[in-house]
Amino acid sequence: MNWEVLSSQIKRKGVRLDPRTKLFLLITISILVVGGEVSGMMIVIKPLTALIPFLLLFTIGKWKQALSFTALFAVLFLSEMFILPSMGKSGFLLLFFCGLFGRLLPGVVMGYYTVSTTTVSEFIAAMERMHLTPKLIIPLAVMFRFFPTVMEEYHDIGDAMRMRGIRLGGKKTSKMLEYRFIPMMICSVKIGEELSAASLTRGLGAPIKRTNICEVGFYKIDLFLILFCILMLGLNLLRAAGVF
Amino acid sequence: MLEFSNVSFSYDGSSLVGQINNITLSILKGQVVLICGESGCGKTTLTRLINGLIPNYYEGNLTGIVSVDGEKISEKALYEIAPIVGSVFQNPRSQFFAVDTNSELAFGCENLGWPEEKIKERMEQIVSEFHIESLMNRSIFALSGGEKQKIACASVAMLNPDVLVLDEPSSNLDLKSIRELGEVIRIWKDQGKTIIISEHRLSYLMDLADRVLYMQNGKITKDLSLEEFQKIPKEELSRMGLRSLTPITFQNHRSTKGMTDEQIVLSNYCFSYGKRTALQIDQISIPKGSIVGIIGSNGAGKTTLARCLCGLEKKASGEVLINGKSYTGKKRLNLCYMVMQNPSHQLFTEDVLDEVLLSMDDNEESQSIAEEILKNLNLDTWSERHPMSLSGGQQQRVAIAGAVASGREIMIFDEPTSGLDFRHMEEVADVLAKLQDMGKTLFIITHDPELIERCCDYFLFIENGTVKWCDGWNEETEEKLSSFFDQTHIRSIFYT
Repeated sequence: MNWEVLSSQIKRKGVRLDPRTKLFLLITISILVVGGEVSGMMIVIKPLTALIPFLLLFTIGKWKQALSFTALFAVLFLSEMFILPSMGKSGFLLLFFCGLFGRLLPGVVMGYYTVSTTTVSEFIAAMERMHLTPKLIIPLAVMFRFFPTVMEEYHDIGDAMRMRGIRLGGKKTSKMLEYRFIPMMICSVKIGEELSAASLTRGLGAPIKRTNICEVGFYKIDLFLILFCILMLGLNLLRAAGVF
Repeated sequence: MLEFSNVSFSYDGSSLVGQINNITLSILKGQVVLICGESGCGKTTLTRLINGLIPNYYEGNLTGIVSVDGEKISEKALYEIAPIVGSVFQNPRSQFFAVDTNSELAFGCENLGWPEEKIKERMEQIVSEFHIESLMNRSIFALSGGEKQKIACASVAMLNPDVLVLDEPSSNLDLKSIRELGEVIRIWKDQGKTIIISEHRLSYLMDLADRVLYMQNGKITKDLSLEEFQKIPKEELSRMGLRSLTPITFQNHRSTKGMTDEQIVLSNYCFSYGKRTALQIDQISIPKGSIVGIIGSNGAGKTTLARCLCGLEKKASGEVLINGKSYTGKKRLNLCYMVMQNPSHQLFTEDVLDEVLLSMDDNEESQSIAEEILKNLNLDTWSERHPMSLSGGQQQRVAIAGAVASGREIMIFDEPTSGLDFRHMEEVADVLAKLQDMGKTLFIITHDPELIERCCDYFLFIENGTVKWCDGWNEETEEKLSSFFDQTHIRSIFYT
């Protein structure tokens, strides 16, 4: 089921990263892998950075996906480097594939890893350590909770549409979007209202300093990954400044 | 002690539904109070006044004073009320903040700034008190409705409030979970908590409640001890719009009608989620034109069967044979129609009439046929209204109207009466009987013994993805059903 992505199973085994490390990795990957041309120092920086999310997939037991994503990325990256320059204008489609999938894949995988391994409490704890305002933290935390619930509704509505014959090539194809989203918006409002009421009766929003039983903190692996990111970002800066 | 003095409340907007008129009431510490009455009588409003959601969250016009141990609830902020009054709500989907059980338990204490060590200690205590060791460290999305409700109760208990308010907590639960809920209430009762439960399903509370309040149009019209309440004859209860207090014995079931000799044959249903086989049915045949009750515990495969029957599970195998004509795969999408538990998911258009027309092919007569259908289901006065502005029961009837208009032979109802009072349950039963008169074959997934007694005439009992037995009414069926729906052996099940 699709909403499993966001439901954040707690895994006691394996590598556990601090949510802040995950965010930093996400930002680094977005900067280094998505943009820039493939030449010079970037030939080393890009694949090294892109490898991290795939390795992280291994640690949560998704080795099949990890292997196939690594292979896919390798193919796309190599073809962008070697085949594309020799193809001229006819390489448009290939450029599209390499650009879109090759460059976005590592970031998407990292994003998947982040949301599927961070629980709401860990997230709140980490944000509080960064001294962000509760005005920002609470809505973000509610989103974590809200999306999987709305996804359940989304699937139910999709089923109902198929049953009533509203599908591509069926009845009312032009109205599919409207029919999908209006019931969903109404359900979402209702769920949001009930969710807020329930959390308010349990003291959310009290003007008291919140505590958190969740242990977040940096370990060796966090330090290693953060240093690695800084090194890569540094190399990129030097390259941009024309040192290499 | 919990006290209401001259409390009146009406919600903003013109609607009279759920308002409360001049209630004066005092509830002693340690009492278990059951509030009952028809939908819209103000039960939920009363619970919201106790947990402070009125006036802090729901807006309206409030007069009078609600107080707990002499402290006025309406003058406190919600976070100040949280450690005094705990609340459990109806919908298990929307009362959790965290996505894992441990964080959920800790949530209330964290908000109030308890030190970490104290939270952990309290958590250990609660986990063993409620016997929820097996539910810890789990994702809330992977829990069943009953398990969710147990976690909700345990999370509320973390703050150790003296007063507990439960608003229709059993609405979405199966029988086993309801028994377990009863056991949780028992634990609280033994601890001397004051408990207020607003509920339609009454029989599981009969050995728990001390006092029963019956509400009508925002007023408490009966204030009885449990003994007095239990003396009310069944006919009187039905007139009051209340469900049965005792387990149903099925001896007064309706006489079978409308069945023909024709059979609908379901064969070769097989479906699995990943490696787990969820459904395995070789062949069953059902009299065409009957109302078939699909019963069994949650997770037994009832909903999976319904989804396969409708053709919603693309990977499922299976065949429906009617009059020797076979329907497989996608064809079943045009043969069956499922009326979902939450009908607002399946209503798409801007007014009720359009909703019915959506199910039909465009031609000159369709308008008049649609109007005819709406009239038949007592919806003609609403035909211009937006479906989402109607009540839950009316929305359900609009969904049924859509099904009738599409001319489907088989209709499936997923828990059509969960959370309904007696009168609304009877209305649904009447609509089902009408559909049967039109020659439809109906499948009804239900945990509602009163609905079964009133309208089913054939049964499929599902267990572990297979059909354990299927049969029409006879003495043996009556016995099997009443032992399945019997709620007397509470403790033995709770501790297994």
